[in-house]
Amino acid sequence: MFKKVLVANRGEIAVRIIRACRELGIETVAVYSEADRRALHVRYADEAYLLGPAPSRESYLRADKIMDIARKTDVDAIHPGYGFLAERENFSAACEEAGIAFIGPKPSSIAAMGDKAEARATVIKAGVPVVPGTEDVGNMSNEELLAKAPEIGFPLLIKATAGGGGKGMREVVSLEEMPTLLQSARREAESAFGDGNVYLEKLVKGARHIEFQILADKHGNVIHLGERECSMQRRHQKLLEEAPSSALDEGLRARMGDVAVKAAQAVDYINAGTIEFLLDKDENFYFLEMNTRLQVEHPITEMVTGIDIVKEQIRIARGRPLSYKQEEVAFNGHAIECRVNAEDPYNNFLPSTGRITHSLLPTGPGVRVDTGVYPGFEITPFYDPMIAKLIVWGETRAQAILRMRRALEEYRIVGVRTNIPFHQTLMDSPRFMGGQYDTRFVEERFSMENAEENRQDYSEVAAILASLVAHHETEKAAQIVQRNERDTSNWKWVGRWERMNR
Amino acid sequence: MKYIATVEDKEFIVDIIDERHVTVNGKTYQIDFEAVSGQPVYSLIADGKSHESYIARGDDSWQVLLRGRLYPVVVEDEREKRLRAAAGGGVAETGEFLLKSPMPGLVVAVPVEDGQEVKKGQVLLILESMKMQNELKSPRDGKVSRLKVKAGESVEQKQTLLSVV
Repeated sequence: MFKKVLVANRGEIAVRIIRACRELGIETVAVYSEADRRALHVRYADEAYLLGPAPSRESYLRADKIMDIARKTDVDAIHPGYGFLAERENFSAACEEAGIAFIGPKPSSIAAMGDKAEARATVIKAGVPVVPGTEDVGNMSNEELLAKAPEIGFPLLIKATAGGGGKGMREVVSLEEMPTLLQSARREAESAFGDGNVYLEKLVKGARHIEFQILADKHGNVIHLGERECSMQRRHQKLLEEAPSSALDEGLRARMGDVAVKAAQAVDYINAGTIEFLLDKDENFYFLEMNTRLQVEHPITEMVTGIDIVKEQIRIARGRPLSYKQEEVAFNGHAIECRVNAEDPYNNFLPSTGRITHSLLPTGPGVRVDTGVYPGFEITPFYDPMIAKLIVWGETRAQAILRMRRALEEYRIVGVRTNIPFHQTLMDSPRFMGGQYDTRFVEERFSMENAEENRQDYSEVAAILASLVAHHETEKAAQIVQRNERDTSNWKWVGRWERMNR
Repeated sequence: MKYIATVEDKEFIVDIIDERHVTVNGKTYQIDFEAVSGQPVYSLIADGKSHESYIARGDDSWQVLLRGRLYPVVVEDEREKRLRAAAGGGVAETGEFLLKSPMPGLVVAVPVEDGQEVKKGQVLLILESMKMQNELKSPRDGKVSRLKVKAGESVEQKQTLLSVV
């Protein structure tokens, strides 16, 4: 096994990886930016080194500095977590060159899946169904795209070939509006990824976002750990995930799982990875993309399979065969993850920065919280707004929902606004309870304003509470002043008074 | 002792009569108020209804966490309120509204111009922070003035960006 691993990330995922290493008896090296000196991952690691100023470009994205630290500290491996350098083929290659194991896929797999058009072409060859669209790899001119659009049919999506997170993506309903939208999509893709190439894809109506967790070792073994439903999204950012999906039955799960394994094999994949699919109402499913890294929502799969995905990743990178065969993977119960973000759901999800003054985590049966923050921690504008993942497990979906409600109620965070009220409202939504939702649900059929009307307003109680606390503080302050004015302690003052009145 | 407590745009006159009674906008409540020792946790029973809350002092307001929602409450006595009114500020229905940056970030776009008429809810500025683009909207109808920033500029928290008169 490895002796020492460098964790090239921050926040909850860095803490998660450090925990897995500790359980395996592996020493850890943390890296941090100036803004993260007091972060939990720095405190938990055996060694910690400063990367640079707060902006990620000057710290967590500095592959050169991270490699220097890795060499200096003599680590055997680097775990990139998710985001930052996790899907940079150059970083994976740099590790390979330095003789340090990259706990992730080979550079060639990252490259093949990183370019969406190339990924499509690769998996099509392996017999994986994709959403109908332009099959040529990148580089199509606007004229070619305009000519192709009516064949695919409207509505359709313009997508950036280097895309992700909804950037460079446009929905088109007619040919007339397409030229303008092509321009703006290219512009956005160019500024976000330095690559203005786009392609077209049919828009699947009422689609659900289903993804399969894959594990693949260096000995040719590839297994899947079942699916996660990630349809609860806003602006293409996932908000809540659950496993299993209420839209799948045994047969469909087996079919989709087989295809997911095929897609991973098509790029000679090694490590943990995720195959994302769109599933329509008629149970047609289409390959969307592959994430060649550990994902934010991996804990729900861990909860229903009992498999520690991070430990498996480390074993795979060490060259060990997978600990499980496909037939040994058993699914038990239901898990839900809510992403707790520093955002104000009552104000168009505006990010909320500031110091977390108090925090009380929910505990009890079936509850897990993965977080990197604690009371006194400062939420800065430099990194994404996720502050914790609240994960629950229940024997059934209904039990998991009830448990999540209970856990959300127990979770106390003061100092920054969070989207906990959003999740609470979601848990009460009949469509969510019925498992009847798709990727458009939050944006088109869910409103905090309506939820707010049904919810009791406690402004008046808040006003009373704050006034009482302020009043008590004022009174306390007044007492202190009085004592000082007497120029002596209360005991002496009482003594004098008693002597005078003898 | 009389306080004016402002919760977002709602104002409450809270009169603390004695340890067992408060009136809010003239309505009297029988209360029992207890602090949990050494913790920022408070228990309030008002007319038999029990509420548990975390309360912490923020920069310019009290942060009251009640039933999962964080309420910012500005508590002032009448003298403080008069002073603040004289100094201006706040989201008033009339007068000047100063749009201040809610966080440090990068101005992505300013879809309005100086002197432009705007409606309540209209986007005044798009600010990028925490890897997200956030729309800052007008709290009321009015005219944009004192536009001080442009796209591409970095701004600090609480920096005045523009005003609506």
